[in-house]
Amino acid sequence: MIHAELLSRLCRARDLLRDWEDEPLSVIAVARASGLTHFHFIRLFKAMFGETPHQYRSRAQIEKAKHLLVLTDLSITNVCMAIGFSSVGSFSALFSRRVGMSPSEFRRRYLASLPEQQLPSGLVPGCLSLMAEISD
Amino acid sequence: MKIKLSSIMVENQATALAFYTGVLGFKKSKDIPVGEFRWLTVVSPDGYPDVELVLEPNANPSAKAFQQAMFKQGIPLAAFEVDDIEAEAKRLKKSGVKFTMDPKQQGPVKLAIFSDTCGNLIQMYQPPQRTP
Repeated sequence: MIHAELLSRLCRARDLLRDWEDEPLSVIAVARASGLTHFHFIRLFKAMFGETPHQYRSRAQIEKAKHLLVLTDLSITNVCMAIGFSSVGSFSALFSRRVGMSPSEFRRRYLASLPEQQLPSGLVPGCLSLMAEISD
Repeated sequence: MKIKLSSIMVENQATALAFYTGVLGFKKSKDIPVGEFRWLTVVSPDGYPDVELVLEPNANPSAKAFQQAMFKQGIPLAAFEVDDIEAEAKRLKKSGVKFTMDPKQQGPVKLAIFSDTCGNLIQMYQPPQRTP
């Protein structure tokens, strides 16, 4: 059983993987900060959150990139650096693989329809509101 | 007016469907693509067939913040009823499900809490034995 104290350490680890200051933390560093051995940490994290710490961190980076692309006018290179990637090539490749379109296409698609500094509704489905968009 | 739908926010709809059907044992009911997401519901073969659980994407940052905070506080976001909680807990543990509370008598009911691997804690409970 996962006791309250371990649960809180795992949640803290998840926060560390998602919200970092200067650059993304390595999985080993986060395991250490959580007081768990590397492999034990990876196994527990996956069992609790359904993906490995590495997969979680990478998904969080892509999410952050999506928001920056739509909400700011940072260049693709700056978005790439802001989410902790050093190579625009590998960032664009990962982004395209995950999102199904390149960062610049993504920006073009969602930026046009925006009022102001708000994520478009297609990206922030509200409670049960998806039902309204089902087409027959 | 009928109670027909309830929803739970999930990190990833594809893995959520795998967990809620493959591990918990619910059956897929609706699966309709809507933009980047899906209108995805499951039903319980042991429960009322017309009550559906919507596996909702939690892409909304506000929803995500709420979900993460509740998880951190150990608070479940849905509760499912079972007939034999000890047997269910044993079955789920065998599938690798992690519990934050093992089955425990709490007042009139027996409760247990586990992670759904989609960002939520789920409570299952066994109601008091009904006397015939």
